[in-house]
Amino acid sequence: MSETAVVEDKQQVAPPEERQAARILKWTSENGIFIFTAVLIVFALIFVDGFSSLINITDVFHRAAPIGIVAVGMTFVVISGNYLDLSVVAQVATAGVILIAVSNSYGIPLAILAALAAASLFALVNGTAVGVFKANAVIVTLSTTFIGLGLLRFFSGGSIFFGPPDGPIRAFGLGKIGPVPYSAVVLIIMTILLSLLLNRTNFGFLVKSFGVNEQATRLGGTNTSLVIIGAFLVTSVAAMVGGFVLAAFSNTAVSNDGVGYEFEALAAIIVGGTSVFGGRGSIYRTFLGVIFVSVLTNILVLFGIGFGYQQVALGVLIVLAVSIDALGRKVSKR
Amino acid sequence: MSQTQTISLGSAAQEGVWGRIRTVASRRTEGRGLALLAVIIIVVALLEPLVFTAYQVTLGRIALVGIVALGLTAVILMGELDLSVASTLAVSGVIMASIPDLTLGIIAALATGLIVGMINAFFVSVVGINSFIATLGMLFALRGLAFVISDEAPVSLTNKDVGIAFGQPLIGPLTPRILIFVLVFIAIQVFVSRVKAGREFFAVGGNRQAARDAGIPVTRRIFTGFMISGFVASLAGVINTLERTTADPTAGSTVLLASFAAAIIGGNYLKGGRGSIVGTLIGAAALGILQVALTLSGVQVPVQQIFIGVILLVAVTTDPNSLRSVAGSLRTLRQGRAKSPGS
Repeated sequence: MSETAVVEDKQQVAPPEERQAARILKWTSENGIFIFTAVLIVFALIFVDGFSSLINITDVFHRAAPIGIVAVGMTFVVISGNYLDLSVVAQVATAGVILIAVSNSYGIPLAILAALAAASLFALVNGTAVGVFKANAVIVTLSTTFIGLGLLRFFSGGSIFFGPPDGPIRAFGLGKIGPVPYSAVVLIIMTILLSLLLNRTNFGFLVKSFGVNEQATRLGGTNTSLVIIGAFLVTSVAAMVGGFVLAAFSNTAVSNDGVGYEFEALAAIIVGGTSVFGGRGSIYRTFLGVIFVSVLTNILVLFGIGFGYQQVALGVLIVLAVSIDALGRKVSKR
Repeated sequence: MSQTQTISLGSAAQEGVWGRIRTVASRRTEGRGLALLAVIIIVVALLEPLVFTAYQVTLGRIALVGIVALGLTAVILMGELDLSVASTLAVSGVIMASIPDLTLGIIAALATGLIVGMINAFFVSVVGINSFIATLGMLFALRGLAFVISDEAPVSLTNKDVGIAFGQPLIGPLTPRILIFVLVFIAIQVFVSRVKAGREFFAVGGNRQAARDAGIPVTRRIFTGFMISGFVASLAGVINTLERTTADPTAGSTVLLASFAAAIIGGNYLKGGRGSIVGTLIGAAALGILQVALTLSGVQVPVQQIFIGVILLVAVTTDPNSLRSVAGSLRTLRQGRAKSPGS
């Protein structure tokens, strides 16, 4: 009797080498980003000509800031277990076009209000469809992407909007502290704020808890629909700020400004170690993921490697990072 | 025991024709698709009857929208998604056009589709990544690959005559595109409803653990499903390239929306286990007729995208399970309100 019990015990606990493997995979998916980013930056500083120049570093910041702002916001949707928000493509473009177009005729405060209204509308539609109707987030946000872009192209006529050459938007877009442009400062502020929101507030706790176990969160007496709408609202507001920063930098806005943002933001989030299975993740790691992805893209650009290879690299990176996470889970479950 | 059986049979028989219709109707999933198709046909017949007189154009459009959706349905039946179809279409078109020999090019393109399907299935079933994320990664990686192979510019077909001949009607008024679409429809329909492996797709989608316990080789079925969807997507890429005589690396970005819309309107349940190829055909027909009607009435492309986006959004939020969960939350809301003044 006791013998069978021992045998059963042995079957349930994985052999030590498998546990070891699981631990390594889990550790890599959670903390690997610190090492990878450090190694990548050191590599770039030593081997890549022109990486350490002041102009290039400012350029990296300029490119990273809008993507990063979108990514730290979208982390909320990913942690809540809803994969991602594809419609940030439409949201970034909408915010940029509204900021430039409306501020040209009605002033900046009204432009920000209008953009905020548009962002809330996106969040409400996405959040209601996913949170209340329990529809698949990927399909819902795919459809809202096309609805949003369609509306934007219809109303803007697909034309490019230019801001005044000496307005406050232009000043903000070009302003910098040392080599750090204002847009990167906005990214850092957003990172800190959203990190506080995720880790120190009840809402943040509920988002994580929903990602771990939806049913338990609901049974605990939470209105889970509101949590999902909230997660999408955070993403939308961040996408709006990202759109502002992008539009301010170039002082122009057009309806296909946000193309590729959903993808680069997702790459940053996943490489940062936030799990697509929901429940686990952090805003700071997404921030590191943004730095990793931006530096990697910059190195590829400096080496003269084209857009196609960059896309391939990021796609492979996403699948690889998720694979490590998935394998770690699989082995530790066994 | 036998008595209870007789009683239950008797009660079913008592309901008569109505009961049987209701049983059949509750089993079918095409209801919403049929309703939408009926509405669209009636409205279009009244406002833009040209859509039906120029049926060649309309059929071509339905085939364009529908062919990728047919392959996609095989994957959706198992509760998975294949977002990579859009770039599979682009990359296989580019590969086909870059190979000078036409036959070799077509074979290489179709093989690409099968390989992409295998890679997707590997990550989904062996590694255990959620199919949304795995195929999303593939979507972008393959789009990049299409840019790399084509050198970021459209590639022209070396043999343009074949492409021009491909656009001509083959049997009666039917172009090869429509014929291929019909063949793909028949093949997948027969596979899913008559072949054992295909019927097992429903079991895999309905309850994966139960399917595994029943001895169904789940991993192999997932490989089959993704390879069907990859193959059909690359077939669509070949057709597109032949018709346009050039392969565009950015092709297929709107295909994603339209094909998902067709499959979901057709009543294919995204969590798997329920749906039908006929439903996808109905969804594709509804979308195709709508698109041709909008184009003929001079509606701009962005507005057409709004139409399709709204239809997809409504379709994905009104499947029976969604409505049930909304009804459930409304009920708890009412109960909560009723309780709170008492307590």
